[in-house]
Amino acid sequence: MAVETIKFPGQPGVDPDLEMGHSLMAQQRREQFIQTVKIGVVWVGLIIFLIFALLQFNFSPAYVFKHFGFVLQGLPITIGVSLASIAFATILALLGAVARLSHNSIAQGISGFYVSIIRGTPLLIQIYIVYNGLPQIGMALIDKGIPQGHFFILTAIQSGILALSLNYGAYMTEIFRAGIQSISGGQREAAESIGMNSIQILSRIILPQAVRVIIPDIANQFIAMQKDSALVSFMGIWEMTYRANRFARQDSKFMEMFVIAAILYWLLTIVSSWAEGLLEKRMRHAYER
Amino acid sequence: MKKIYIAITLLSIFGLVLSSCATGPAAAKDKLAEILARGTMIVSTDPAYPPQSQLVEGGQRAANTKCTSDLHTSSELTGFDIDTAVAIAGKLGVEACFVTPEWTLIIGGNWANRWDISIGSMSITPERMTKLYFTQPYYITPAAFFVNDANTTYTQPSDLSGKKVGACTGCTYDSYLAGTLVIPPFGKIEPVVKNITFVGYETDINAGQDLALGDGVRLDGVLTAQPTGAGWIKDGMPLKQLGDPVFSEYLAGAIDIASTPNPIPFVQKVTEVIQGLHSDGTLLQLSQKYYGVDLTSQAASYDWASLKQFP
Repeated sequence: MAVETIKFPGQPGVDPDLEMGHSLMAQQRREQFIQTVKIGVVWVGLIIFLIFALLQFNFSPAYVFKHFGFVLQGLPITIGVSLASIAFATILALLGAVARLSHNSIAQGISGFYVSIIRGTPLLIQIYIVYNGLPQIGMALIDKGIPQGHFFILTAIQSGILALSLNYGAYMTEIFRAGIQSISGGQREAAESIGMNSIQILSRIILPQAVRVIIPDIANQFIAMQKDSALVSFMGIWEMTYRANRFARQDSKFMEMFVIAAILYWLLTIVSSWAEGLLEKRMRHAYER
Repeated sequence: MKKIYIAITLLSIFGLVLSSCATGPAAAKDKLAEILARGTMIVSTDPAYPPQSQLVEGGQRAANTKCTSDLHTSSELTGFDIDTAVAIAGKLGVEACFVTPEWTLIIGGNWANRWDISIGSMSITPERMTKLYFTQPYYITPAAFFVNDANTTYTQPSDLSGKKVGACTGCTYDSYLAGTLVIPPFGKIEPVVKNITFVGYETDINAGQDLALGDGVRLDGVLTAQPTGAGWIKDGMPLKQLGDPVFSEYLAGAIDIASTPNPIPFVQKVTEVIQGLHSDGTLLQLSQKYYGVDLTSQAASYDWASLKQFP
């Protein structure tokens, strides 16, 4: 009868199970690496195919290189408009979510109405209303002798930021609500039991934990906003789409100019998702084993 | 206690915002006075149309500018319209600043005082006159017929009667050929060609390309802006102009009727300035520079007062 030998971790000698586990993991890593390389090759192949296809059809690369810098000059405005809008949208969303979760019927009503009306209408219509519609009210107020009517007549950039903030604020209200609700009720009760008031509970207990959950969603909204900021070009803001469009129309080089703009938006979103990954990792740190 | 502080802070912010607004630009008695006091004239232009207006690649914002940060300076744009706007502003003793909204926003009127004037090669039409005041025109666009180079039988525009004539759909040339074109203050313009077969195109260049295929292959003639057709010929298309231009569009500055305060003295002043720029030869010089021909003399003799825009 053979004696079974049991090997405990930390004991001297070779552990065949551990060895096997290690080699299995190494094998898996190798396979994953090969898979990544293969996917990369497909990407490069697709890009080469697209470039090749474009070059077959009257596409002028020289024109692209000549005007690349001009479209690139619009990048700071695209980023600036997106950053300002996401900041305001975050504030709106926080207020909206708190109102939505409160027991006050007026606050709940306002918040629900806001989310419903904004999510139910196209962003382009909202931009038109802010830029072209509001001044009608403003002019009428000024006519009535109320100089505050100026508030309703916003410049192109202000209109763009306001419309984007309102729009994304509504979507993010739902994200914030879900984030806040994901924190268990026991934490709130515990905080109440040690005498915190509701603002303290929100800022010290609920939000620090909720933010970790909603960061990926906010980042997604930010990336989407960078692309939606193209809609403000019709008001004459010189961001990337506007710049591309002007030269496209002038020289009938639509493919060239819009390819430039598309590449720049693509690169911008790649960088943003990478930055979001870093942020997410940092926020997750305390919860990793 | 804390709540009171918050309430006081909020109230004071609200008050500050309101008061800063109340001391806003409500003081001037008319638009002209407001512009002179501000030191800037805000001009709208759609920079997609060289040689009238286009963006300067690598154009930098002027260093010592009074234009606010959401406006562009003349160094970032170039073209006939831009130089004209700068010349007008110069005569008024103010700086020209530019905004670039969509063309449809400009011609629609109701600018909500976002900009003061359009110097955008806008043709004077009866529909636009319901929303905008027009200044003295600063140049014209003559319309002319073009035929294929190979043709030897046509000697004047009326020879194209009964033939196939191409032009852009829905534009001035379409209305002219249909006999519905009205140019203030002259009224209805009777076309010199009769019973033509109209062929509509998305843009003028498509009509030019079809005409270039050969005499009578797809088209017998094309009606377009004389400088446009001259440009095609310069680019090597086998075309020639048929006779003299048949009519002219008058292109003028436009000011929103709904602007506040009262814009009428501003319209009158800009008209006076443009008349001055006509008589001192500035506009003729610009026309020679950008078009190589005189497109301004006819605009100088336009009888602006007969538009009767003001009651």
